[in-house]
Amino acid sequence: MGKVLWVDLSTGEIKDEIIADSVYEQVLAGVGLGAYLLYRDIPVGADPLGPDNILGFVSGLLTGTGSLMTGRWMIVCKSPLTGGWGDANCGGTLAPAIKQCGYDGIFFKGIANKPVYLYVDNKGAQLRDASHVWGKDAVDTEEILEKENWTKKKPSVAVIGQAAEKLSLISGICNDRGRIAARSGGGAVMGSKRLKAVVLAGIKPIKCNDPNAVKAISKEYADKVRKQDLPAIVKGSMLPLGGAVLAHQKNVAPLDGMMLSMLFKKWGTVMSNGMAVTMGDTPIKNWSGSVVDYNRSYYKNINSDLVIKREYRKYHCYSCVVGCGGVCDISDVGDGKFKHTHKPEYETCAAFGGLVMNRDLDAIFYINELLNRAGMDSISAGGAVAFAIECYENGILTDEDTGGLKLSWGNSASIIQLIEKMINREGIGDLLADGVKIGADRIGKLSERFAVHAGGQEPGMHDSRLDPIMGVHYSADPTPGRHTIGASQYYNTTRLWEKVSWAPVVTKYPKNEEYIASDTEALKSVASACYKQLVDGSGGCLFAMIMGVQHWNLFGWLNAATGWNKTPDEYMEIGRRMQTLRQMFNVKHGIEPLTFKMHTLMAGDPPLKEGPLKGRSVPIEAMMMQHWKHFGWDEKTGVPLPETLGKMGIDQTGKG
Amino acid sequence: MAEGRVVVNYAQCMACGICVQACPFSSLEMSRAINNKYKKVFPELSSRSACSGCGICATACPLECLTASKE
Repeated sequence: MGKVLWVDLSTGEIKDEIIADSVYEQVLAGVGLGAYLLYRDIPVGADPLGPDNILGFVSGLLTGTGSLMTGRWMIVCKSPLTGGWGDANCGGTLAPAIKQCGYDGIFFKGIANKPVYLYVDNKGAQLRDASHVWGKDAVDTEEILEKENWTKKKPSVAVIGQAAEKLSLISGICNDRGRIAARSGGGAVMGSKRLKAVVLAGIKPIKCNDPNAVKAISKEYADKVRKQDLPAIVKGSMLPLGGAVLAHQKNVAPLDGMMLSMLFKKWGTVMSNGMAVTMGDTPIKNWSGSVVDYNRSYYKNINSDLVIKREYRKYHCYSCVVGCGGVCDISDVGDGKFKHTHKPEYETCAAFGGLVMNRDLDAIFYINELLNRAGMDSISAGGAVAFAIECYENGILTDEDTGGLKLSWGNSASIIQLIEKMINREGIGDLLADGVKIGADRIGKLSERFAVHAGGQEPGMHDSRLDPIMGVHYSADPTPGRHTIGASQYYNTTRLWEKVSWAPVVTKYPKNEEYIASDTEALKSVASACYKQLVDGSGGCLFAMIMGVQHWNLFGWLNAATGWNKTPDEYMEIGRRMQTLRQMFNVKHGIEPLTFKMHTLMAGDPPLKEGPLKGRSVPIEAMMMQHWKHFGWDEKTGVPLPETLGKMGIDQTGKG
Repeated sequence: MAEGRVVVNYAQCMACGICVQACPFSSLEMSRAINNKYKKVFPELSSRSACSGCGICATACPLECLTASKE
């Protein structure tokens, strides 16, 4: 049995809700518990920026139990960006802090009449005045609130920056000086509630059924990670060559995902900076170009080694034994106003590298800190900038529209100024601050052809023309445009077939098979989506997930931590239920799932004329339908079938 | 004044930070820079340590590489 905290910001009422054990057995915690409560409690027609929307901060079932790579927290809400289910995932220290306050989740409804923050410790929860930090950026606010509230325990703080205060629909929620739960527009929901921050200083113990059994699994996993060590001879400049080799492979064979840990340890996600360009994974020039355009003279400047040259120490999220993060010195960058920044992720480097044809790495560092402080999603912001540049290059936007900004490809100085305008909602920035779909609606003039999104959300920096299953998740997931749900590349290293009876076994296969809407590909995407829900319900890390089930023993940890004795197949049914609940949330709120289908460019319509993805197209609608069919949902509409809902115990009317 | 002492086995520690978060007094911090190729930092008692030697950090460590004692 656990509990969640409910805070009504309109009335100031704060109360606990006890959650029965049976609920955890149905949906785990984390995103599953969030889906259970929000499906039940957000009324049909609720304005995402109104008092009826609920914003939840949830921690994972495994967080704090002694398991590893399970320290991720999530926000859950009705997304103002897509109109449907919204969630976003983040690391740092907030996930255990939620549980150390005695809760599995903290949920807000209503709207405060002035800026407030929530403070929670062992004695209870209080709403406090946040007027003195309203208008400040996320990092400065975190420092102030941490100092004000640090008595015994250093508090963990989740906070919004200026972008969310100004209700940018591509704003997120930050913690640990620049980590960000960026997607779905959760920041705008928090801003609309005038909730500036959540400050957590509890010191309660976190329950675990069998700590010794959990530790035994952790030791085994940690030993494997410890042994992974990249020879010093391997340089970042070699990685693009590897990408070029992969781009030309006719056949695909699964690799041992544990090898990824040595790459993460050395570079973090920026290991992909050049490699993903040459293999065709990075979308180039707003999805209309390739490595032929963003060639070596460009990508050599964002080389992985150049990124970590600025790194002066590694950064680990809570319970992480890999340490893909880092803290970088940027005191000599730009105007010198920022001293340091979290190492930019691959997503940020790609969104402000190849996507906008920029080769100025210092500009990427600067933009990274600018966005982290303002609390704006770097994926969506990069998409919005690329969209604006393409509109400008095609005469849809003029100098008059841009306030004199010369929005040509790769003009890093103009890009920085544009981002500042977006954060402050000034001029052209105001048009773009809510993402490309709404931006195109405002600009008109057929600009929607350059507005690359799925269901209103800009996609991650992974090309669905390289990995069609990525495209299925971009289009068919209840939160469209997300690169973190599944992909063939993820499936092949996660190796679900080693534990799950129905997950297709992968050996060597022709790459072309990925482009066919088959039962096998659909079962892979369904298995990936179910498993990812389990990961998100446990507080797990995507990067640990793709190291493989034979190494990162999620099923073993879940049984040890809870005392359950479930098989992997039984857990996968929990994952299926969680995903179905998220989909039913969308159905309840009037979303027609097919409308989330990704932009035609993302499916290769028209196909690229050069580069490694030349001629590639994805039968996305047929693949979405196969995916839905194997979920037990109507294959034409994506609506879960009554018999599926009955089997899973999900009420069709949205009562949980 | 801190009354407790924590010894970390840095050969085994993997800088996961579980001990730091577990400490009810935030007496530990990730600041110990040991010469290592990845520039990782490891836990150590902080300058504002109020360590009582309670051992909560040691119990929390999944790799069992901390020991805590009263001075």
